[in-house]
Amino acid sequence: MISPIKIWRRQKEIRKILGKKGKVLVWTKIYMAGSDFKKYAPYPVVLVELENKEKIYGQLVDYRDTDLKIGKEVISILRKVRSSTDEGVIAYGVKFKPL
Amino acid sequence: MNYITGYYTTRFGELWDKSLFDLVEEALRGVLKQNNLESSQIDAVFFGNMLAGVLENNLHSTSKIAEILKINVPIFRSEAACASGGVAFNLAKTYLDANPNQNILVIGAEKMTDYSPEETITGLSAAASGEEQEAGLTFSGLYAMMANLYIEKYHYTEENLAYVSVKNHYHGSLNEKAHFRRKISIENVLQSPYVAYPLKVLDSSPISDGASAVVLTNNQDIAKKQKHTVTILASEVATDTISLKGRKNLEEILATKNAADKAFKKAKINREDIGVAEVHDCFSIAEILAMENLGFWKKGQGGERIKELSTMYGNNGDLIVNTSGGLKAAGHPVGATGIKQIGEIFLQLTKQAEKRQVRNVKYGLAHNVGGSGGTAVVTILGI
Repeated sequence: MISPIKIWRRQKEIRKILGKKGKVLVWTKIYMAGSDFKKYAPYPVVLVELENKEKIYGQLVDYRDTDLKIGKEVISILRKVRSSTDEGVIAYGVKFKPL
Repeated sequence: MNYITGYYTTRFGELWDKSLFDLVEEALRGVLKQNNLESSQIDAVFFGNMLAGVLENNLHSTSKIAEILKINVPIFRSEAACASGGVAFNLAKTYLDANPNQNILVIGAEKMTDYSPEETITGLSAAASGEEQEAGLTFSGLYAMMANLYIEKYHYTEENLAYVSVKNHYHGSLNEKAHFRRKISIENVLQSPYVAYPLKVLDSSPISDGASAVVLTNNQDIAKKQKHTVTILASEVATDTISLKGRKNLEEILATKNAADKAFKKAKINREDIGVAEVHDCFSIAEILAMENLGFWKKGQGGERIKELSTMYGNNGDLIVNTSGGLKAAGHPVGATGIKQIGEIFLQLTKQAEKRQVRNVKYGLAHNVGGSGGTAVVTILGI
């Protein structure tokens, strides 16, 4: 189980990077995932450079396969990231959707 | 002068009847027997292991090794993800530099197949940054990002990458200790399912169990008594950001370049002098990047050069790469890999590599990487 304190600490930072636009620097699609992400596979992950040059990883959601390309414009959004157990706190984090 | 005088490795594979410390014991006793050494003659032990604490709540391995060997000397464990073995070797070599007349055991071991692939993948992900873990990025995902960028930038295809796996599986077929001993074709690789686009199952090293050990000495009397001896010309470690995104150039591993430059300078030899190399091919793209970053191939040309298969045994190339089968076919028990690579070079330089023996080699190189390139170790050996 992920410590709820860890999630709380991380989520204080997440609000600062929501609603930011950027471009995909590189992408992949994960077919073989770790335990917490297995139920979501396959899922694409992108590395995005925001307009302020900050680089952020996140999964791409609400996408079509044609959106999976370097240079694609995206925006950061808040989404559920994972829940490791039924009793654990649900972790929310940054994902991206195509523009 | 520091020497390697012996090497023993267990078979690599899904060894369900063996625990981590069964494998450690087999490797330790095997290498001691090979050198006709008693455990009482050992002055220190260095142990490379990544996952025992993460997967099986199994730490303080140093005293477990003391219990196995019935010794009370200094024993140290190193952890640097997949470079745990290479770093253990580097620390042992540094220890020799500081202490005269010592005999040292360096062992790397990992037990990975007691768990589901998802559990092991999660354990391995501990070596990625927190942000990478939270995005659901696995190590195959991180190397897939590097592969995607490399293919797009230099106009290659997935087929270029596949040649690495074909070559290394051929080498694995010649190594009786290898996890996989089956030859594969380009079509086999291209038709295998994706693990992380554009990397497929047959672009990827397997999850393996295994242990490998070497004896190091700077005791000239002990060295003279041994049948096989190679000289450690250099062992250099370099580091970089844990997160791939922190790197200036995403399709190269700077730690490899830095460690290689330092190692060649210290060894006082040139790239052209190396006849055999074991490079870190955790994924097919990793061998191509390694060949470029080590300075054997020019940047961006690796995708084309690998198709020539000049680095394949039997093709009369000047440099043969991953004769053990590499991580891809010999297997990748994480902590053992760095020691197995050095051991394979030892076998080649001492003409003990049997069916895969490369002729007339005087110098060999081993290259071990941790994570997506946060640590790199380059070791150069000579006879």
